Amino acid sequence: MSLRDVSASHIRLISFYRTRYTLRGGAGLVFLMITLVFGLTVAQAVLAPIEQVMAQQAKAGQEPDPKEVVAEIVKRGRPVIQWALGIESDENSPASSDPWTTFLLDDRPALLSVIFLILLFGMPLLISFLAFNQIAGDVQNRGLRYLLLRTERANIFIGRFLGTAFFSTLVIAIIIATITFYLGVNIKIYSAGPLVAWALHGFLALSVLMLPYIAICSWISASVGSAFVSLVLAKVVIGGVWLFALLGSLVWKPAIYLNYALPWGLQNHLLHPKLTYSLGTALACLGYMLVFLFLGYYRFETRDL
Amino acid sequence: MNEGKRPGGLTALAVLNFIFSGWGLLGIMGMITMIVVFGKLAENMDEQARTQLEAIQAIGRPMLICLLAVSAVSSILLLISGIGYIKQKKFMGRTLGNAYAVLAIIIGIVSAVMMKPEIGGGFTIGAIIGFIYPVLTLILLNTTFKEDLTN
Repeated sequence: MSLRDVSASHIRLISFYRTRYTLRGGAGLVFLMITLVFGLTVAQAVLAPIEQVMAQQAKAGQEPDPKEVVAEIVKRGRPVIQWALGIESDENSPASSDPWTTFLLDDRPALLSVIFLILLFGMPLLISFLAFNQIAGDVQNRGLRYLLLRTERANIFIGRFLGTAFFSTLVIAIIIATITFYLGVNIKIYSAGPLVAWALHGFLALSVLMLPYIAICSWISASVGSAFVSLVLAKVVIGGVWLFALLGSLVWKPAIYLNYALPWGLQNHLLHPKLTYSLGTALACLGYMLVFLFLGYYRFETRDL
Repeated sequence: MNEGKRPGGLTALAVLNFIFSGWGLLGIMGMITMIVVFGKLAENMDEQARTQLEAIQAIGRPMLICLLAVSAVSSILLLISGIGYIKQKKFMGRTLGNAYAVLAIIIGIVSAVMMKPEIGGGFTIGAIIGFIYPVLTLILLNTTFKEDLTN
């Protein structure tokens, strides 16, 4: 049994049932609820201050000007965005001169950019709720033995990864579409074209970013024999790498490079103004994914079930 | 379909029902407390709390009582249908679950239309968040878990 036994029709069937079973199995439902609430709560946290100021202006008898309100909030939030992007602020040059921040806050719909930056940080921490049980649960209850009579391990591994990735992409699409629709209909400061184009960019960025994190969950899930252990390990690995790098860098600066063990260190570049940077980061994410998938597949293929 | 074959998703849905039911009942008690107790202390409140209280009072007492009663019914429906999901009952689970979902969507629309933004009215992201669970319940009960609630 090896990668030569891969069958497209088997993979298609397995990934289709994986997507369907994800909701029935509970993990997908929990992920869907948590992610939708998280995504929309982030949007609410970003948009509520603007709506409140506009409401206050209307109450005071002034004509509410959302563009002015957003410009003021963007001005105040610029240093925070620079910090989030890891850009050192220079006291001699004005904050607005940094091209990346300018691109996100001035050239593109700023509110959507801020929401994307928070989602890029938060989604990797949530994805394990969906992806933790690709293999481990079936190993635990020995159900995998019956499936292995009908297909190869490679088909199961790849099919389940693709099914999970498809479900994750679907949920991200729902969140981005809802937020973009709300911004377009209710806040009304961005014209439809740039808003939809930037929303599409954000959707692609988030979808591609999820792939390596799902792949590392596949690897963990294929390596352990308990769904719960798989969930805990996935959480510890994904969150732990970021936390360890952050805390470690406080005492030893180079520890920040630990972030590159996962896409943490480069994922914000998916929103970089230079196409070569954002495309390069997307390719790097796919590279991470392939490495984790290979390691996971190798472990799954060689382990005694 | 027997109880031993209950899908994990249905159990998760039941647990969410219990959580949201408790949450809803606490919210109703909080609202009643705010009207009864804080109404007497309005003079000592900060401006934001007073604005919220005024917004609640602006709805009018009959409408407010009606909204609270319907919200209480919705929370009780959540609780009972949650038990129905666990036992995989057709009426207790599917019918009452659907009834909750429809009622919650109606309450959401009425609240958005009638309430002031200070207390969660209007077309806001918060209102959309409130629709997630009822809509999800409606979809799941009539597609994914349709065949599981037959006892």
